Amino acid sequence: MKTLHARMRLLDRRHPRLALLVQVLLLVVLCAVCEYVVRAWRLPVPGSVLALGVLLLMLACGVVPMSSLRRGADWLLAEMLLFFIPAVMAVSQHAALLRAEGVRIVAVILIGTVLVMTATAFLVDLVWRWRQKHHAQ
Amino acid sequence: MRSELASLAWLAVTLGGYYLLKPLYRKRPRWWTSPLFTVPVLLIALGLLFGMNYPVYIRDTHWLVLMLGPATVAFALPIWRYRRLIRQHWAALLAGVLGGSTVAMSSAWGLATLFGLSGSLRLSLVPRSITTPLAMLVSADIGGVPDLTALFVVITGVAGIALGELLLKYLPLRSALARGALFGVGAHGAGTAKAWDVGAEEGTIASLAMVLAGLLNVLAAPGVAWLLR
Repeated sequence: MKTLHARMRLLDRRHPRLALLVQVLLLVVLCAVCEYVVRAWRLPVPGSVLALGVLLLMLACGVVPMSSLRRGADWLLAEMLLFFIPAVMAVSQHAALLRAEGVRIVAVILIGTVLVMTATAFLVDLVWRWRQKHHAQ
Repeated sequence: MRSELASLAWLAVTLGGYYLLKPLYRKRPRWWTSPLFTVPVLLIALGLLFGMNYPVYIRDTHWLVLMLGPATVAFALPIWRYRRLIRQHWAALLAGVLGGSTVAMSSAWGLATLFGLSGSLRLSLVPRSITTPLAMLVSADIGGVPDLTALFVVITGVAGIALGELLLKYLPLRSALARGALFGVGAHGAGTAKAWDVGAEEGTIASLAMVLAGLLNVLAAPGVAWLLR
């Protein structure tokens, strides 16, 4: 196991592009295995969320060092916008619905987002200030 | 044969458009330069010119959507990287994520009802504030249409960048924690990218808040489905 991690680090330094590919593939495989497990055992969580939990556990136990997945994970997170562009194009499937209800939908989203952001920020600020005062005393 | 070529061509245009238009956002990070807005506009324009057939479009590009699964798994790294920050500010984060998610779901449901939207459309709006892969999962869970939810998530993201910027100007917020959580809980990945422009601490908190809110929503989905039934 130790030599494997050392090899991964070496690969990361010498061939960053290949390392990126290997790391992304590892995450894809982990996700696929968990999807399979979820389907086979009929678990109530989505496969990707189970995989996230498994990976967190492996990181916590030190089975997988962060350095051997960091490049792949950063890439996946940075390119996430690309992955949901095709999902957006499904718009064309619902064109009639959106033409009829589009204005109302956008109104719900705009007003809702202002409410969510304001509520979240005030709540966090409130708790933060309360803790600040508490710790100061 | 022709549709297979067209399908490949759409994949190439999606990839090419994304990598071509991404630097624009890096140079001028505004909602209308986000690839989430510019690439679909480009694709729709080309679709109007050459004719787009959605099944043909999605045949090869659905591989990109499948990558949202591994992208979700990748969130484990930022969570682990910032574990100390979570431990330090768990109370404030928890309050923001719990309260924000509750407001997100109930405001979507309430406003949709107020505006006379109902059925699967209203349900598809409920998880719109969280990150796309998880929002689509929640949507399917509670009886919405995942495709529609993906679209609403994107609108939320694009609007959230602009609205968040505006709110930061007028809300009297004291902590970077609150500024970050505002973007993470309110506008998922798009907001998080914006939060990184505001500051590193804001960006970190935003990423964390986004992941935690997303997970909370997924875990709460069965309960929400039961409530809304």
